[in-house]
Amino acid sequence: MADRSAATLSKGSRFQVSKGLLTVLVSTVVLFALSAVLAPTSVAPGTLSGMLPFAGILAIVGLGQMLVIQQAGIDLSVAGSMSLAAVIVTVYPTGDNTKLVPALLMSFGVALLIGGLNGVLIGFLKLNPIIATLGTNSLLYGLVMAISQGIPRQTTKALQGIVTNNTLGIPNAVYFAAATLLVVIFFLRKTVAGRRFESIGASSAVASISGLRVRTHLALAYVWGQLLYTLAGVIIAGVISSPNGSMGDAYLLPSVAVVVLGGTSLLGGRGLPTATVVAAVFLSQLDQFVLALGVNFAVRTLVQAAALAIGVAIYTVDWSRVRSILTKLPSANGRGQNQASLPSA
Amino acid sequence: MIRRRKIAAALSAAAVASMLLTGVAAGVASPATAATVPSWCGPKKITMGLTDGFGGNNWRLVTTASARNEVSKCPSVTKLLYADGQGNTTKAISDIKGMVAKGVKALVVFPDAGKAILPTLRAAYKAGVVTVPYRVDPSGVNGKDYTIFIPGDFVTDGKNWGTWTKKNFPNGANILFLSGPAGNSQGLDERKGFESVLGNGSGAYKYIGEQPFEVTNWDPALTQKVLTAAIAKYPKIDVIFSDFGPVMVSSLGEFTKSGRSIPALATSDGNILGCFYQDNVKANKDFKLMTVATGNDHVRLAVQQAVARATGGKVPAATAFKAPVFEDSTTGKPHPVQCNRSINDWTFLSAQMSGADQEALLKK
Repeated sequence: MADRSAATLSKGSRFQVSKGLLTVLVSTVVLFALSAVLAPTSVAPGTLSGMLPFAGILAIVGLGQMLVIQQAGIDLSVAGSMSLAAVIVTVYPTGDNTKLVPALLMSFGVALLIGGLNGVLIGFLKLNPIIATLGTNSLLYGLVMAISQGIPRQTTKALQGIVTNNTLGIPNAVYFAAATLLVVIFFLRKTVAGRRFESIGASSAVASISGLRVRTHLALAYVWGQLLYTLAGVIIAGVISSPNGSMGDAYLLPSVAVVVLGGTSLLGGRGLPTATVVAAVFLSQLDQFVLALGVNFAVRTLVQAAALAIGVAIYTVDWSRVRSILTKLPSANGRGQNQASLPSA
Repeated sequence: MIRRRKIAAALSAAAVASMLLTGVAAGVASPATAATVPSWCGPKKITMGLTDGFGGNNWRLVTTASARNEVSKCPSVTKLLYADGQGNTTKAISDIKGMVAKGVKALVVFPDAGKAILPTLRAAYKAGVVTVPYRVDPSGVNGKDYTIFIPGDFVTDGKNWGTWTKKNFPNGANILFLSGPAGNSQGLDERKGFESVLGNGSGAYKYIGEQPFEVTNWDPALTQKVLTAAIAKYPKIDVIFSDFGPVMVSSLGEFTKSGRSIPALATSDGNILGCFYQDNVKANKDFKLMTVATGNDHVRLAVQQAVARATGGKVPAATAFKAPVFEDSTTGKPHPVQCNRSINDWTFLSAQMSGADQEALLKK
């Protein structure tokens, strides 16, 4: 417990590279190399520009989830929140560009309310985060149905343009993800509040004794999370020009997966935003890679599950223990070999 | 004077007759105006029930309204009860039980939960209610588990796509087929249909991508990913078959992004798709569109079957709903591609119910 944040850093350089970032970077490079060799079409420019917006969306959701997981929490209202944002920005304007800005304000307003609700329930009333956010998720889906009646509407041309157009050959959704990453890094690493936020995640007891406002920061984590899920929901409404009311469902598990693959501990502590974003690229490319391989749907699902299991194992298995067991094994083998070699000798 | 009166009488009789005749003719196109009682409506007065497993989307809203409209043509149905299972199988079951308890004599059911709903259907049927499930197969037997199941004829949809492809690509084509969840029976039936016209893929007509179909779960995001991968992988895609046309709209732009023309598309109709076609046909030289009706009127046949049996009317001969071909951009027959920009994108212009009526329904 005590060394969980220290252990994730490799020391020695001015720019510390976390173990999580290193692992996920190497994995991603290997994945792209494999893609280029085994399924070249999965790295074709057209495929990449199709994959990147989804990677960007996943990155933003992942960053939101990371801020919550840093506080040893988890947010299951990701799905409802994204769906609601997508529904608000499509249903309210119904194609009218002039109503886009009020719709955006409305969706971020709802995000503040829902985030506040989650925060109060979990930070102040000490509800279990799984139960509380599961409840809010149902509430959000109720709103989705009430607003949309299950009827998709077409995205306004303005939003679609902003999100799907390219700037310098790169889909704009990528810039949104990059900007979000920079903001999160700046907040966590360069502001006093961000530093406090991290130290509370690492040990709320110590932080509490030091006089930090533990409950407020804990509650705020859910608000930051909601704001980012809402941003992701708005972007998906632009990418999918006619989003239905369950667009967020596909992001619940991956949002947790990218955080874990990026090396942030589910027990809380230091958050690794860059690694989380790289993990989002990794998962999205894995998706396209398996699609391009042309294997059937069942295998695709299995590969994704396996990647997740391996990713989680990298961080959660106590490798020093495994190493110590393994180092004992060769000596045992050695004895065996000796015994085996005796009769023949 | 008398002669003049006779002439007047004859004239007015002729006028009435012609009005009746046009009324009947109009009745085919727009049944709401039909004044006569249809043959499937018998004399016995009944209360009727209509249940949905999940009623919360636009397709269902239009379908339910179509059912109400069909029922309203028969004055013998004195009361129509409706319940929406809201995607909850337990609620769907208790909805049906509740209707039987309330004394409905005819019951039309959209059995979303499939087999899970079968015992409840059987119980209703045994209780003497004319029970007519439609569209989703609850996997029972007519006359044993329910009165009659009115399936959709997806094999015919597939045949229609195949026939159109053969006509427009007489020398063969590369065909990509997108359907819903893995192994869904609708997709498999459609495949049966087009294979009967185009062969099993070993001849001039090749099936590319995952077989028997690319899994999209009818989800726009997954459809987009699948199509992006397919575009990169296959330099030549001549025709796309899809059993949910409107969901294709956000994905077809991927062709444009890759610098290729949107290919021919054989699918099901939707206002959003028709408008997309009209907006993009000029810039995409290979873009052709053919649609079969999405099938909101399927429920009308189920209602007719149920009401006829319960009221003592003439039972319709049709026992399966064959979705007609709706649009064809190459011949304009039976309709050219339709787009109505003044109403909701997610309306279905192939339905008997007018686009404006659907719009009013969606605005409620």
